[in-house]
Amino acid sequence: MPSLKVKIGPLVLETPLLTASGTFAFGEEYAPLMGMDGLGALVTKTITLLPRLGNPSPRLVETPAGMLNAIGLQNPGLKNFLRDELPRLRGWAVPLIVSIAGDTEEEYMTLAQALDGQTGIAALELNLSCPNVKKGGILFGTDAVLIESLVGRVRAAWSGPLIAKLTPNVTAIAELACAAARGGAQIVSAINTLRGMVIDIAARRPLLGNLAGGLSGPAIRPVAVKMVYDIYAATSLPVIGVGGIMNTDDALQFILAGAAAVAVGTANFVEPRTIPRIAVGLREYLEENGLHSPQELVGAAHRTQRT
Amino acid sequence: MKQCRALVRELEIVREDFYYLALEEPYLAATALPGQFLHLRVSHTLDPLLRRPFSVAGTSPQTGIVRLFFRRLGTGTQLLSCLRSGDLLDCLGPLGSPFLPAGKSPAVLLAGGTGIAPLMFLAQKLAAAGDEVCLFYGAATAAALLPLERFLPSGPRLYYVTADGSAGETGLLTGAFERALDKGLVPGELFACGPRPLLALLAEKNRRWGYPLQVSLEENMACGVGACQGCAVLVQKDGKKAYVPVCREGPVFYGDEVIW
Repeated sequence: MPSLKVKIGPLVLETPLLTASGTFAFGEEYAPLMGMDGLGALVTKTITLLPRLGNPSPRLVETPAGMLNAIGLQNPGLKNFLRDELPRLRGWAVPLIVSIAGDTEEEYMTLAQALDGQTGIAALELNLSCPNVKKGGILFGTDAVLIESLVGRVRAAWSGPLIAKLTPNVTAIAELACAAARGGAQIVSAINTLRGMVIDIAARRPLLGNLAGGLSGPAIRPVAVKMVYDIYAATSLPVIGVGGIMNTDDALQFILAGAAAVAVGTANFVEPRTIPRIAVGLREYLEENGLHSPQELVGAAHRTQRT
Repeated sequence: MKQCRALVRELEIVREDFYYLALEEPYLAATALPGQFLHLRVSHTLDPLLRRPFSVAGTSPQTGIVRLFFRRLGTGTQLLSCLRSGDLLDCLGPLGSPFLPAGKSPAVLLAGGTGIAPLMFLAQKLAAAGDEVCLFYGAATAAALLPLERFLPSGPRLYYVTADGSAGETGLLTGAFERALDKGLVPGELFACGPRPLLALLAEKNRRWGYPLQVSLEENMACGVGACQGCAVLVQKDGKKAYVPVCREGPVFYGDEVIW
């Protein structure tokens, strides 16, 4: 019987299946529907230092084989998270990965320090798709120098496993994965959403309240697979692959491209049992192919010769 | 709330592009309350990708039937309109917070367009409990009005309103309601569903009238269970402004709680 247990850098998880940040809230909405079966780790929605109201509506719109969202990192803020959400999250009996973001390096550091003292957090994920207010609003995740500096400072404040979640809105994502590695990240997660826009032709203006949003869903999967492939080739850091995974075959594509684990996002909205189904499907695939662990497949697409 | 597979019992064009859909699913029929909705998977392919929310328009717990109405407008409802009796439909539900009648008689229900669906269910429940119900129902033309007599038990007093005067009173739903107030109607409480400008106007006018008012809102939805925060509406909560998910905190809100 193959095991789905995986080692991703310093993290050991029962399955290589995670929730993508922001698609699973803090777990209680989906617990009654999926019972957390097959889930290797729960990644929370992104927490910021202070509560965020979020963007005006409409915040989402469906697109071909995907959706655009502009939620605006609505979240209760660190203090309320620690008081209200963290105790409940500890009760899920799956490793917990907390996603954090800030407007400045100092905010990320304050968050990391405050979470460092808490029990029950398996890893921290840095959401790098945020504007650096002190650097004229350039996204932390689009500049190698900013990434290395930020990751390095958070590294000093947080003693556990550290994940850098990369934005795909860049020219060469592999270089940014290398910058995260230099800063001290042990894992990278790729990719966040792609920037996009839908125009309301009746109103003759952008449809979303925030004008632009992040594209997710199967529409972005080939982009994400290629980026994971590139990162795997350029660094030795383990990769969490994210982007439009709907089923076992999709998850396998990411693993073969180089992902040590995968995260499911938009698919949760469509089919809450996507993760348990992929867990079953992965076990079947391994069994049929005489494999013992998904780890044997990681990056195999780089090694298999075309015949 | 559960994920279930409902059996399509009946699908019928009732008016123009208005469809009536009867689903058989005993759990949903037994548990759904007026104001709650079902989140339907309309396709097994990736496009359209997201589920579609529909307010429950009525239930028959004895036969396990749940009734919905929808207008064929886009790809999702186009696919629904092609269902056949015997098909299975993946549903999440019942979702959302229901109307909470306080039992103040008469209950006045104000429905604009497809907003009739949840109010039909509420009228059914209130009439069954022996409460006095007045239902104002407006649409652009007579051809767009559903034949309520067919789907509602006798009991509710019906007021039809059309913009062009082709059926019932002419003009706006709020106008017809105001004329009824002038003629001596004294509502115990108000329940409304329809286009947002109609609900905003009603909430605005009601600041003067002061009747208890509950409205059912609509927003683009992804998850339907409160996880994605996509279907946000701005409300006044404990003296503070906050965006809350229509799918979980709503779709029913008190009129004075929404920041219009």
